[in-house]
Amino acid sequence: MVELKQVSVVYGEQHALRRVSLTVEKGEFVFLVGATGAGKSTLFKLLYGELRPTEGEVWVLGQPLHQIKSRELPYLRRRMGIVPQDYPLLPRKTVWENIAYGLRAIGYNESAVRQRVAQVLALVGLNEQARQMPSQLSGGEAQRAAIARAIANHPPLLIADEPTANLDPDTSWEIIELLMRINLRGATVIVSTHNRAIVDRACQRVVAMDRGQIISDVPHGGYPIELDRLHATVML
Amino acid sequence: MIDRLRFVVMETWESLTRNATMQAAAISTACIALILLGGASMALYKLDAAAQSLPSQFEANVFLKMSTTREQAMQLKTQLEAMPEIERVALTPREVAWEQEKQKLAGEVNLADLPNPLPDKLTVRVRDPAMLPAVSQRIAQSPFVEEVIDSRKELQTVLELARLVRWIGLGAGGLLLLAALILIYNTVRLTIFSRQREVRVMALLGATLRSIRLPFVLEGMTQGVVGGALAATLVLFVAALISDYFVRQWPFLKDMPPGLPPYVLMVGLPAMGALIGGLCAWWATRRHVHI
Repeated sequence: MVELKQVSVVYGEQHALRRVSLTVEKGEFVFLVGATGAGKSTLFKLLYGELRPTEGEVWVLGQPLHQIKSRELPYLRRRMGIVPQDYPLLPRKTVWENIAYGLRAIGYNESAVRQRVAQVLALVGLNEQARQMPSQLSGGEAQRAAIARAIANHPPLLIADEPTANLDPDTSWEIIELLMRINLRGATVIVSTHNRAIVDRACQRVVAMDRGQIISDVPHGGYPIELDRLHATVML
Repeated sequence: MIDRLRFVVMETWESLTRNATMQAAAISTACIALILLGGASMALYKLDAAAQSLPSQFEANVFLKMSTTREQAMQLKTQLEAMPEIERVALTPREVAWEQEKQKLAGEVNLADLPNPLPDKLTVRVRDPAMLPAVSQRIAQSPFVEEVIDSRKELQTVLELARLVRWIGLGAGGLLLLAALILIYNTVRLTIFSRQREVRVMALLGATLRSIRLPFVLEGMTQGVVGGALAATLVLFVAALISDYFVRQWPFLKDMPPGLPPYVLMVGLPAMGALIGGLCAWWATRRHVHI
């Protein structure tokens, strides 16, 4: 499903990623954890083709993203659900319109749009908020709406960048539960976070990063102890 | 297909309504530039037609005195034909000229009952246009001649006017067109920045670069079309208003063939606006919209 082979990304003289190798199989749920600047966002940008590696290979859904042509990239992205951290919902559109917008943008007809939007709204539990503007939503509802938009096209791969950022613990867990439900329906899910509690509680595969490198990869573990040690060192 | 088209139109409309002030600036600049270009084109077309309708620069019209008899006129014609500089002389008798004038003004004025006010006319064609002023001067000294009209003066006036219009129209119009290009580019650029979220969402969801850029290009084209349509309307309106004034100032313009047909401006200026607007917007999206 996803494979990175000896991938490095260099900005000027600074290594954002350093010879990273990672394989995610179909149907897996993976937490990508690490402190700010560890390289999580860089790795995500590689996965949806917003960034090209300086060296190494990036394979997603069988496509070589390290050498994909720009005109082929949109068609690959239609098979991914992306929940970006920096651009959540469009503020001038309702929840319903936000989800429909993405489908219309990739050429769905109106009857298919109505059907898909209703399906995903039910899945994320936002039927009652469908006509509300993003400013009227709570943080958790807004995040669920962003996830609904990402999965409206039924993608086999879902990538969520810090979906629990700025959410309280209960709401964070609701979001992770939603993502795990989507995973159980067949989608491969990769989530970045630095929320220790939910990583411990979810008991899924955890890949830990630090300074552009993968420092641990545990199949069914909690928050990696290596990161705790690193944080402690930094605090001292 | 209809759903797709509706999406693109809605996106374009949202872009157009988001920055109303910038849209107004871009449209009005495009309009002013196209007014100058359209006005200049119209005037140049008219002046070109005037130049073509004037007698050749080889010719002078010699109007004889009313007291000159036909025999004297024929005598003068023979004298002129004998001059080496002159290639040909044609006599237009006053009766023939009056008949032609009556026919020309048949729909406007009834000249049937009026006495013939026109003199006999000799049309003199020289071998070399450079000789025309000297020949005209010599002919004017004849006691039978009332007036010699050297068409080169009229032609010169028309050509000077055409030159002036070309410089003012194309020069100022060109500069303003450049300003319009930059303004449309800048408006589309600002719209792209203000719609960064939409662009990013569309890109991440898998919209193609072409479908993301299309609403912005349509926005630029719309600015150009609206500016062009306004310009065409204003040019035609003002042209109609000042047409009489120019005919009064230069009576020879009255006999000119009609100017540029209105539909040429009504179609041409919006089309030109659409072309420049679309090109600017395409350039802006090439630089600022990426996936």
